[in-house]
Amino acid sequence: MGLFTQSVEVDCTPAGQPLRLRWQGREYMLAAEPVRWYERRRWWAEEPRAQRGHGPGLVDQEIWRVQVRLAGKGPLRTFDLSRHAGSGRWRVIRLHEALREGA
Amino acid sequence: MSFIHLNVASAFSAHYGVSWPKELVRRAAADGADALALTDRDGLYGAVKHLKACRDHGIDPILGVDLAVLGPARPGPSPRAGAEAGRLRTEGRVLVVARGHCAGAGYRALCRLVSAAHAHTVHAPAARAGGASAPGTLAVQGPRPSRHPGVTGADLAAHALPGLPGHATAPVLTVLLGPASDVGLAAARRDYARARAALSRWLELLGPAALRVELTTHLSRPGERLSTAHALRMLRTAESLHVPAILTNAVRYADPDGAATADVLDAARSLTSLEALADLQPNGQGWLKSTAQMEALAREIARDAANPRLAATLLRNTAGLADWARLDPAADTGWGSPKTPEAHVIGITGDPNTELAARCEAGITRLLPHQARDRTLRDRLALELDTIADLGFAPYFLTVAEVSTMITALGVRNAARGSGASSLVNHLLGISHVNPLAHGLVFERFLSRERTTLPDIDIDVESAQRHRVYRKIFERFGPDRTTLMSMQNGYRARGAVRDAGAALGMDTGDIDAIAKQLWRFPASSFRAALAEKPELRPLAQRLAATTDPHTRPGTPRQLDLLVDLTERLDRLPRHISMHPCGVILADKTLLDRTPVQPSGLGLPMSQYDKHDMDPMGLIKLDILGVRMQSAISHALAEVARIHGDGHTVASAGHHPLPADGTLPPYLAPNGTINLDKIPLDDEPTFELIRSTHTLGCFQIESPGQRELIGKLAPRTFNDLIIDISLFRPGPMKSNMVKPYLEHRHGFAPETYPHPDLRPALAETHGVTVFHEQVLRTLHTMTGCGLAKADVYRRLLGNPSAESRVEELFRTRARERGYPPRVIDQVWETLQAFGSFGFCKAHAAAFAVPTYQSAWLKAHHPEAFLAGLWEHDPGMYPKRLLVAEARRLGIPILPLDINRSHAAHRLEHAPAEGPGTGTTTGTAEGRGEGRAEGRAEGRTATGGTGPHLPQRPPTPRLGIRLGLAAVSGLSSTEIRRTIAGQPYGSLPDVRDRSGLTRTSLRHLAALGAFDELQHAATGTPGTGSHQGPTTLPPRPNRADLLKHLAAIPPRNLPAKYRPLPGQLPLPFHDAGIGDLELSTIHSTEPAPTPGEIVRTELDLTAMDTTAHLMDSHAPLLRQLGTTPAARLLDLRNGTEVLVAGIRIATQTPPMRGGRRVVFISLDDGTGCIDCAFFHEAQETAGPLLFGTRMLLIRGTTRRTGPRGISLQALHAWDLQDTASLPLPHPPATHPPRSPSPEGPRT
Repeated sequence: MGLFTQSVEVDCTPAGQPLRLRWQGREYMLAAEPVRWYERRRWWAEEPRAQRGHGPGLVDQEIWRVQVRLAGKGPLRTFDLSRHAGSGRWRVIRLHEALREGA
Repeated sequence: MSFIHLNVASAFSAHYGVSWPKELVRRAAADGADALALTDRDGLYGAVKHLKACRDHGIDPILGVDLAVLGPARPGPSPRAGAEAGRLRTEGRVLVVARGHCAGAGYRALCRLVSAAHAHTVHAPAARAGGASAPGTLAVQGPRPSRHPGVTGADLAAHALPGLPGHATAPVLTVLLGPASDVGLAAARRDYARARAALSRWLELLGPAALRVELTTHLSRPGERLSTAHALRMLRTAESLHVPAILTNAVRYADPDGAATADVLDAARSLTSLEALADLQPNGQGWLKSTAQMEALAREIARDAANPRLAATLLRNTAGLADWARLDPAADTGWGSPKTPEAHVIGITGDPNTELAARCEAGITRLLPHQARDRTLRDRLALELDTIADLGFAPYFLTVAEVSTMITALGVRNAARGSGASSLVNHLLGISHVNPLAHGLVFERFLSRERTTLPDIDIDVESAQRHRVYRKIFERFGPDRTTLMSMQNGYRARGAVRDAGAALGMDTGDIDAIAKQLWRFPASSFRAALAEKPELRPLAQRLAATTDPHTRPGTPRQLDLLVDLTERLDRLPRHISMHPCGVILADKTLLDRTPVQPSGLGLPMSQYDKHDMDPMGLIKLDILGVRMQSAISHALAEVARIHGDGHTVASAGHHPLPADGTLPPYLAPNGTINLDKIPLDDEPTFELIRSTHTLGCFQIESPGQRELIGKLAPRTFNDLIIDISLFRPGPMKSNMVKPYLEHRHGFAPETYPHPDLRPALAETHGVTVFHEQVLRTLHTMTGCGLAKADVYRRLLGNPSAESRVEELFRTRARERGYPPRVIDQVWETLQAFGSFGFCKAHAAAFAVPTYQSAWLKAHHPEAFLAGLWEHDPGMYPKRLLVAEARRLGIPILPLDINRSHAAHRLEHAPAEGPGTGTTTGTAEGRGEGRAEGRAEGRTATGGTGPHLPQRPPTPRLGIRLGLAAVSGLSSTEIRRTIAGQPYGSLPDVRDRSGLTRTSLRHLAALGAFDELQHAATGTPGTGSHQGPTTLPPRPNRADLLKHLAAIPPRNLPAKYRPLPGQLPLPFHDAGIGDLELSTIHSTEPAPTPGEIVRTELDLTAMDTTAHLMDSHAPLLRQLGTTPAARLLDLRNGTEVLVAGIRIATQTPPMRGGRRVVFISLDDGTGCIDCAFFHEAQETAGPLLFGTRMLLIRGTTRRTGPRGISLQALHAWDLQDTASLPLPHPPATHPPRSPSPEGPRT
């Protein structure tokens, strides 16, 4: 498993669920139902400020685990994506060799 | 249909919830919800606020509670750590929701259940009330763990299913088993068998009707606690046993922003840092989500359960339970209907109004017999009784009268305070000692038909007797009608910064240093304060350095976060405690209306605070313990004890005798003084007040008050009332003080906006000071009547309502023919007055103990000071009052194993004269102080008291220190020591006094055995460190301490101990005296005076043998400081250096809103009050609040004929010798030696 934080472009369904992503110049299609959760952040060590009204996304971040295939073909790959609460921007934060275990 | 949240914790779940009830309700209502539950941890602390907020937003309230469930302890190691001591252990937490629209059966059961949850707890004031019972985070308080609130399954069943005879047992409470319940905890561990077993036990206990499984998903990482998978496992368990499931979001904050605050609270609750905290919330999703979001969660669970119909079922079940639980506040909780104790309890049989009138008649006969037919009195009484009858408040007045009578019968000093003094009925019932007619007090300020809320009658009692009074009230009215009121203690700046710092894992020393600099501003404005407060500049500079990337990693960033988190914690409740004075009285339904829990006193206290009383129809009596009343009581007892009879008291206190030689009416033959009967025009008392040497006097001892009183120079009791009223934020801010003083002293002519207002304003020379004057002004100019006028007064300063009052005032005044100029002028005054100002009745009630304490200080200063030392009533450290005794030349007699009692007592000291005595310390070195002290209203130095006869020299009275002042001495030790007095020798003390070795050592260090030691070694009984130095070294305290440390602990077996009362060995018989003491050899150097003072401060918090500053004398000489006692000799505007120990720091409200810091120093010759204005604050910076001993340069400011203070220019830390301006600057005043100079007369 690699640890990343790299920008990625994600197309979503109207309900906000990822459908397609463009990463390193290639396009990947979702091959399975994605899993979404909110993961805690060690904000006290990572953030310079935590003032009242700082807004969402301080304590946790939205994570999507997606299984994708390059252009709908190729091997199945698993990405963990984070969506920034304020800007809505996506980043790749983990790259799995293979999906080991779900819930 | 909107989603209704049924699991919502507010900030009233201490150290758990983040948002206030009104924020939660506002958010729910904004989202379209038509109901919201409040289910705080361990209690209904926020319930009334929730009911009110729901009323305000027009939605239905639902009430519940989040409780720990206690189960029998299992043998062997418990699977979870932190199981409680005792038989019960926590088995998770459940939510209990009350049924609504059932004539209060649900709310009643909820109250009783919560009370039951607390019944077994031990109150620990510092206990983290809300959260300490979270599984795995049980905080241990003290040596024995205090048990935390919780209920057993049997408790739940008994309250949820009351089973009324003849009725089917429809549940009145529903128990919700959520993720934190035993079912939920087992599900989290994937222990399906245990989850199912737990649920079937609950079913067996409560039946299906009173039980729900509560699903919550915070969308945490799959498989974790509060994940959808967790909810799903609970759903499977519920389905297997056919228990309906509902959906909640386990809300802890109104919006996502609160999540970080919740993290900090979790850390504070667990007393650990965020980094080290094991069970942080998995993420920040516990907020009050919208209907759409909750429906999405329901669908997500349904999707994972592969059951498309499930979402609708969950939402329907939730809505159904919510409908069942919607409350009708009036019918269910008794909202707004006052309940007084039943007639038979207050001892009346007939109509309460008739009874009240009869008691008032009796009061006239007793108190005002000569005015029985007085028209004014009759009209006033009729007005008051009519109003009370109309409002139906007669039972309330009779109840208060009953309490007041009961307190008086206990022999405890008591007096009404507050606006209650405006009522003639209160005076006639004996509740208030102030006759409202004598001071022009307005009844409508207290009560009128325009005010429907219950009036407050506050009673001050001796602080030392307060708990006894409470217990008697419980006895008198019964525990089912009586409870104490509670108060929520919220985070203030210092506590917030400490907990925020601990959460961030910052160095405790660093945090402590920062906390000490925070001075009276709300935590929420920390960042703003950093920018403007000079004392925070070092911290601000450290913060500014955070932009530098090369500073130590972590730390700078932490400071920024520290400020943010401190602001987040502002005002959040930390724990509940007994309110300092509120006692709730009601009929026997009281405990159905409020949950109660043990207080620090052991008596139950309500979970509701003062804001909840009126809405809930709970009647509260404020019975406030006032230390001054105890001090007065001790002083009066000492006067009577030491003098023994009235004539001796009269002569000692210079009380003029009536011509026939009998005693004055306030003095009994046995020497008892009745302060309620002393004349209110006693000249020596006013002389003392005008001298501004009012340390220790009620209300007028603060630096600001001493300055004001110096300027005002009161001559009458009414002047005192005005003085007390002027020293308030309103008058200070709206500039009433200066014009009043100018008119009073004739510097400027009195002016009245209109001659009609003269009667109302004449007593304050045309300046509006009192609420009563506002009422009369409004009434005079609009004819609105005093009751309406009080309504209008309350609207002044209210931004939304003031304009209506203005319009009405202008229209009516115009109609009545007042010219526009007058209307403008009067309105301007009224507007400036706002709702500030002061109620004259309050001031009149305060003025009584003020005058009484000044009277005692003028006539019986020794007894008064003994009382002050004993009960420490004032704002200053006790050691300042010791200095005051020294200044007054009152001998301070040291602790003595044979002479000291428990309390500080008066004792005849050897007559004054050079070279005498047991007077400890350096009173002789302060001759000038004594001379001045004697001059205050006394005649010893002649001349100042024309009304007093010269008195023959009487033996001086000294104050003998009491044993109770020694820290660490138990009450049992003190009792036994006193029972064993006198002691002939040290072994005798050891054998009979029961003193521990530590106590013996402490007493030895304080010189309590000096007399024994001197008797044994044949040296004269002088103070230990004084006396001729030419004699060979004799054993001293240090030798004795060494000796005590060396001897083995030994105690006579009980059968050899003398019986109490058995005669000890002859006291001063040298032959067989104290072999032990007489054989101690002197090897140790005697402790220096400085060491002795240090010991005294450590062990008794008082420097009794010498002043703490004495050891600094050489330094002060070098610096050329001016002693406090000399300041009055200087011209206005002289630049001086002063030094002393900080005794008070105040930031009183000031005109213009700019902060002024007053620092008072004590240098042993008196008090120096130094005002730091803006620039001086800038130069003093961190010294303002953090430094104990200060050197201050400033210019003198005359404040009145006898008053002087200092305007500070610069300050230094006296202990930071390197920083001091040495060698001394050009002396503006020749340095003075502190050596004796003799009295100045």
